[in-house]
Amino acid sequence: MRSFIPRTVYVIQKIRRFFRFGNTGYLFVLPALLYMLAFVGYPIISNFILSVQDVTVTTINAPTKDFVGFENYRTLLEDEVLITSIRNTFIFTIACLIFQFLIGFALALFFNKDFPFAKPLRGLLMIPWMIPMTVSGLMFKFMFSTNVGIINQLLQMSRVIEEPIEWLMHPGSAMFSLIATNTWIGIPFNMILLSTGLTTIPPELYEAAAIDGANKRQSFFKITVPLLKSAIEAVLILGFIYTFKVFDLVFVMTNGGPVNSTHLLSTYSYKLSFGLFKYSQGAATANILFIILFCVSIIYLKFVYNDKGTAA
Amino acid sequence: MKKGIAAILILFVSGLLFAGGAQEKQGTPESDSAPGEKKTVVIWNYWETVKHQETLARICKDYNNSQDQVEVVTKYIPFADFKKQLSIGVVASELPDMVIIDNPDHASYAAMGIFADITDELASWPGLKEYYEGPLNSCKLDGRLYGLPFGSNCLSLFYNEDMLNEAGVEPPTTWEELKDVALKTTKGTVHGFGISSLQNEEGTFGFLCWLWGTGNSSFEINDANGIKALSLVRDLAKSGAMPKDVINWTQGDTMNQFISGNLAMMVNGPWQVPTMREQAPDLNWNVVMMPVGDEPASDLGGENFAIINGDRVPEAIEFLKFVASPEEMKTYINDFGYIASRKDVADTQFSDDPIMKVFVKQMAYAYPRGPHPRWPEISDALSLAMNECITGVSTPEAAAAKAQQTIDSIVK
Repeated sequence: MRSFIPRTVYVIQKIRRFFRFGNTGYLFVLPALLYMLAFVGYPIISNFILSVQDVTVTTINAPTKDFVGFENYRTLLEDEVLITSIRNTFIFTIACLIFQFLIGFALALFFNKDFPFAKPLRGLLMIPWMIPMTVSGLMFKFMFSTNVGIINQLLQMSRVIEEPIEWLMHPGSAMFSLIATNTWIGIPFNMILLSTGLTTIPPELYEAAAIDGANKRQSFFKITVPLLKSAIEAVLILGFIYTFKVFDLVFVMTNGGPVNSTHLLSTYSYKLSFGLFKYSQGAATANILFIILFCVSIIYLKFVYNDKGTAA
Repeated sequence: MKKGIAAILILFVSGLLFAGGAQEKQGTPESDSAPGEKKTVVIWNYWETVKHQETLARICKDYNNSQDQVEVVTKYIPFADFKKQLSIGVVASELPDMVIIDNPDHASYAAMGIFADITDELASWPGLKEYYEGPLNSCKLDGRLYGLPFGSNCLSLFYNEDMLNEAGVEPPTTWEELKDVALKTTKGTVHGFGISSLQNEEGTFGFLCWLWGTGNSSFEINDANGIKALSLVRDLAKSGAMPKDVINWTQGDTMNQFISGNLAMMVNGPWQVPTMREQAPDLNWNVVMMPVGDEPASDLGGENFAIINGDRVPEAIEFLKFVASPEEMKTYINDFGYIASRKDVADTQFSDDPIMKVFVKQMAYAYPRGPHPRWPEISDALSLAMNECITGVSTPEAAAAKAQQTIDSIVK
């Protein structure tokens, strides 16, 4: 008891000193930190714990769950469907990103020109982005269907093909259909962000460049692209994250089929957990997805940081 | 600074509330059974048809009026979400008191330990011995009884009489005839044969008719018989008699294709019959037993009642005995388009309905899937093998070997 009072005083003094030297800022961060811990940290940790346990249909209700270390991850890495879904996820993401970006960029440049109805038309192009993904998925599923789909009918009418193509029945063409659909959905997102970027470029730069004798190509690569750099980076990274974790579209259009050939990490994780009741393996798959996205986010943050560094 | 402190205070208080909420959940369930008040029994089900919902509500009303102790209420959960909701319910301890569940999933949930073992409670109940063996077995795990069958159905072959007449063929009775008739009725946009072949339980449901038709069990596929079953599916798809689109068709889609005149034959169940009569009154169709491979076989479908382990088990058992009594069952089973799982009731059904009679006859050869606690994984391996053969990415031999490997890793 004797030593308790001086100690309390000492602690209070220490706290006081801590805040005296401009450390009050930590208090302001605290709410956000607590929020992050509760709503971001907890699910991640809990999901990780689930992935190192053996929780399946028979053990989910058991009072204690077996700890199995990284056994689930090892099983998954030997699972050919998981390997396919990792590959699919990357193919899907990168292909979608390339097409969305190029087409979106082209449209952004196009609508940046001043012509009648440019603004309303650009607004109309946002529609794919606003339709719920399940609706788009169903719509394209019908459009890609073999006998009644409009895509096959158009192709047959224009004599490009003789026999209807079984779009969703073969691994390659099913993946193609998914990429085409998601590209259609993602174009407006790319276009609108890049358009916003374009409006911030002062027109005087182009005029000056024209006077100096720069041709269109030069002014595009020397003015437009460098000044859009941060917008382009944001579009690509956000697009990557957004596309990488697509779930609803694939779930509706192919549900991973035919023969597990179009599973993405997200849909396969769902299937493991809620279709096959292998909860731990589902959690492990979700963690693999998380780790990949985490790395990408770090790269993005590094880009942003570097930009600020050079600007200062 | 003031704002910051206020924010921290708010967070602190909400944190306390959080902890309080969590504690409440762990505590004893709310005591809502004050004397004189009715106890509530909640039943989850996934029937989406209006007719089914109305009939179920009527059964509950009958029971609620018959006594003053218990109030039975139903809650609809869509089929696609049903298993997920139930699994989440297990973890969150938010389960109903009873469920009406797809029969192959029964064993999985019994193994999870959420269903009450009612073997002893029903041992002296006279109705038990009236049940067909197949449906009753789907309620069992390791010899113990975890529920009662609600009603059953099975698959048979529907055919379009006009199309078969035009091609000058009779409805097939064997696999060879099936391939032959399917090919002869295929022309233009019309395909000879269709069966829902999704890569999920719905697809497995149809495929097992072929696998069992060779004399195999659900757990054997990598032998001459299994390969024969897969070859049948492969041949039908390869010859063009069966569209490859079947891998994306639900049973409802298949029925729609049939009544739209795009299919000459299909495998489907009796629950489609009321809809077909309503939507295509002019279509000339009939039903025959499943074509036979080595022995007659069909897949047993239907739902089971199960009681959740909890504080309403006695009340739920009383309700179960009420709905399963022959007097009550006769009032609703026909409205469902189901065949009763009790012999004494099934014998009185559909005496003047030649189409439904075919399904009653087929029931004698209908077997339940599983039962196995990890049935969903086995089912997935089987439907994957079937899809590999339909799309042609694998030979029946390779698909069978792969499926067997998966099944062995689960069963052994």
